[in-house]
Amino acid sequence: MTQASTSPSVPAAAPRPDGARQSLRARLASARHLWLLVPLLALIEVASLAVRVSRVAPHSDWRAAATFVRAQQRPGDLITSAPAWTDPVLRLVLGDRVTLAQTGRSDTDAFTRMWALSVRGERPHDAPPRDPDFEQAFGRVRVLRWDLGASPVRFDLVEHVREAEVVRVEGDRELPCPWRVGSAEGGGVGAGTETPAARFICDPRRPWLWVAPVVNEDLSLEARYCVYQHPPGAEPVRVTYHDVSLGTRLVLYGGVYATHERMGENGPIDVAVKVDGIVVGTMTHRDLDGWKRMEAATAERPGTRGDVSIEVTAVNPNLRTFCWAARTEDGPRRPRSAP
Amino acid sequence: MTPTFGVPAVSVLAEPRATWRDHLAGLLMCVVYVAVLLATANDLAMARDESFYVDAAQSYAGWFEQLGSDRAAAMTPEAITRGWSYNHEHPALMKALFAFSWMAQQKWHVFPNDSLAFRFPGMVTAGLLLWLVYVFGVRTFGRAAGAFAAASLALMPRVFYHAHLDCFDVPIVFFLTLVTYCYWRSLTLSRFRWFWVLATGVTYGLALATKHNAWLLPGVLVIHWVWAALGEVRARRRGGVREVSLVPWWLLAILTLGPLVFYASWPWIWHETLPRLREYAAFHLHHDYYNMEYFGRNYFWPPFPVSYPFVMTAFTVPVTTLVLALGALLRRTRAFLPASLAERALPQFLHATGVIRADRRATDVLFLGALLQPMLVIALPSTPIFGGTKHWFAAYPFLALFAGVGFVYVTRGFRQLVGQRIPSPRVVVRALAALVLLAPSLAETAHSHPFALSHYGMLAGGVPGAATLGMNRQFWGFTTGSLVPWFKQQMPEGGTVWLCDTTWGAWRMLQRDGLLPENIRAAGDLAHADYALVHHEKHFAEVDFQIWVAFGTSTPATVLTYDGVPIVTVYENPAHARRRLARRVR
Repeated sequence: MTQASTSPSVPAAAPRPDGARQSLRARLASARHLWLLVPLLALIEVASLAVRVSRVAPHSDWRAAATFVRAQQRPGDLITSAPAWTDPVLRLVLGDRVTLAQTGRSDTDAFTRMWALSVRGERPHDAPPRDPDFEQAFGRVRVLRWDLGASPVRFDLVEHVREAEVVRVEGDRELPCPWRVGSAEGGGVGAGTETPAARFICDPRRPWLWVAPVVNEDLSLEARYCVYQHPPGAEPVRVTYHDVSLGTRLVLYGGVYATHERMGENGPIDVAVKVDGIVVGTMTHRDLDGWKRMEAATAERPGTRGDVSIEVTAVNPNLRTFCWAARTEDGPRRPRSAP
Repeated sequence: MTPTFGVPAVSVLAEPRATWRDHLAGLLMCVVYVAVLLATANDLAMARDESFYVDAAQSYAGWFEQLGSDRAAAMTPEAITRGWSYNHEHPALMKALFAFSWMAQQKWHVFPNDSLAFRFPGMVTAGLLLWLVYVFGVRTFGRAAGAFAAASLALMPRVFYHAHLDCFDVPIVFFLTLVTYCYWRSLTLSRFRWFWVLATGVTYGLALATKHNAWLLPGVLVIHWVWAALGEVRARRRGGVREVSLVPWWLLAILTLGPLVFYASWPWIWHETLPRLREYAAFHLHHDYYNMEYFGRNYFWPPFPVSYPFVMTAFTVPVTTLVLALGALLRRTRAFLPASLAERALPQFLHATGVIRADRRATDVLFLGALLQPMLVIALPSTPIFGGTKHWFAAYPFLALFAGVGFVYVTRGFRQLVGQRIPSPRVVVRALAALVLLAPSLAETAHSHPFALSHYGMLAGGVPGAATLGMNRQFWGFTTGSLVPWFKQQMPEGGTVWLCDTTWGAWRMLQRDGLLPENIRAAGDLAHADYALVHHEKHFAEVDFQIWVAFGTSTPATVLTYDGVPIVTVYENPAHARRRLARRVR
């Protein structure tokens, strides 16, 4: 065969097949009719757009579902939505009931029931792996509820951080970090954790050395409601809670602002958990660990109370924008849901 | 001549001609497309990069005015540096055109608002691209294929969006396709070949002067030329007539005229040429890595996923267009192979309908190379990915041309089916097939506006499906424009807005265009702005969290959605809310 022309062409006529090749040729000839399926595909594509648009939940459905949940909500209830990208819509209709602790939760242990406003048949990633205990449709939005059982949490250290005593340790000295209400600072991509208006200020010369509850972006870019506690160096900033109900264990999660962790190039952070001055648990957080969990046993003193301290240090404190969430727990552990 | 699907069968030496009627049709496509772009442009606030190019164009316009009034002063190194230093990481051609358009606007008020003046040159290149694709199609696969290709390209949702902008992404597609066309025309030993050789060099210079994507095109052309030349040698040995030039004059033109045009178009490099060229090259060879969400993961550092351009193309180009193109590619497999190999590997009987063979210019190979090269470059794990699909737009004219071939195959199938049972079967079948096969493109594009960078098609499950899959939802912050009516309603007495990804220049352009009151100002301090907004891109999640901490609430004031998927969330500073409510009480 020779190449024939200076331009390609779309030929019309089929060559006459050899006898031996006829059956294959016939089958292939029928394959040409596959082209006739393309207009069918086009119609399906147009129809799929119409279906997609018609499946969008109108705002009125979200409002109706929100009204229902608002009426049913009890203390200890968690309100969430699925899929996760609907979260802003959830907060638009139920923002007054969705706390930062709910949105920035590390797990569901603090909650007794989970409400979910769901579209497209999705369920929250941390919902129990079973059918919901309640389900009702409001147009295209479904309200789902899982009863999680009694919460094992006895004392949430993030919720009570305002009551804590915060000091910066320098040699033998403990320098108090006073609580101040000023002005929020920061904002923008790459700017890191927002400095809240109200915070413990540990060193005016080092404006990053403060302690306060914030919402931090962890390595997976998820919201974490936690206590920001940037280590000053090898000597700690210490946050102490007095007379805490201890339970049998203390659970702590910790992580670094995503941009400061994601390159895996900064030094480790050490966390020490003390009860009445005695170390009951430690955690070393290294870059790329993400939102890391540790558990310290306090079972030797069940049912008792004590002073709980969280100390954070780092030999090299550069970009160690550490944040933690902790609580004391009692009773049986809940099954861990997927992160 | 034997008719083949209405396509004239080509003779050995002649190539299908594009008549004046074809050029008239191409011009009509161009004009209609530009008119549609002009009519829909005000729905789109300026994107980040547009606002930078506005600043550049205004700076360049200042220099051009100086050139008109005092040529000697304008040509001094100081004046050139002053006028052309802004945004010198990109060459000047399109920004100079934006500047001329802006100067015309200042003098004659050609456009209803300023943003259209800056955007108009880009829109014209989009229109010219359709004309070019149509003519390219006419000359390769026929009129029907060319027309369908142009229409399907025009109606790719993301192409339609980018065609509005005062950016380089559509202009560079036009110039790269034009270079490819001139090169292709220059290959034959026709009497106009020297014109096309020169045109290849000049248009390559214009491409260089538009965007750095042009650096890579000669590689594709060289590979193709070697392929075609080997085929030509084989054909001549078998006694064939001489058809394709075996001397790469086009390459000589690219290597000489190209740099000359590039140099002439960019005053910035008229002084300190080598250091400035080095700086320009270094910027792109060592480009920053940005964030891009892909299947739920935020990529910010290599290696980047190889599948990215292919999956994103599948998710954003109408499926019908893709299937037509892929079907045509499969159908024309023989044309991608040397004749002897095609005969051995793919006997003709496997191709049940008609003889498919490579032409002497190996046009199919050229198209395949031009289709794959931009995507393969982005697929390299080390290539930064940050521009959604626009960085491989240069592939799409050729994707559209193959879709045009697929369209011809479909119409032929239907014509065989209906025979002569209807009057004028050729016309009726073509019209109906075009209507049906372009319907998804038209519907998706219409639905995508003004959220085209958030738009995903059927294979992704649409916008919500893509959100669930964890695909990038937008970039460039232009969706703020969709909130202008809301801001006007909320802030009748003015106020401040923290803009997240929207640049102050883009915000200012909304005011220059008269769309946004002057007293609704951009704010630099998130914590003290009256309103703060978040564009929902995965790596902007931290901005949401910052606002919650700064404002002490996570309850939005409003959420802009597209197909139910949040695009922008706006928060009101509680301090502002208190003042607003107090005013209402008074």
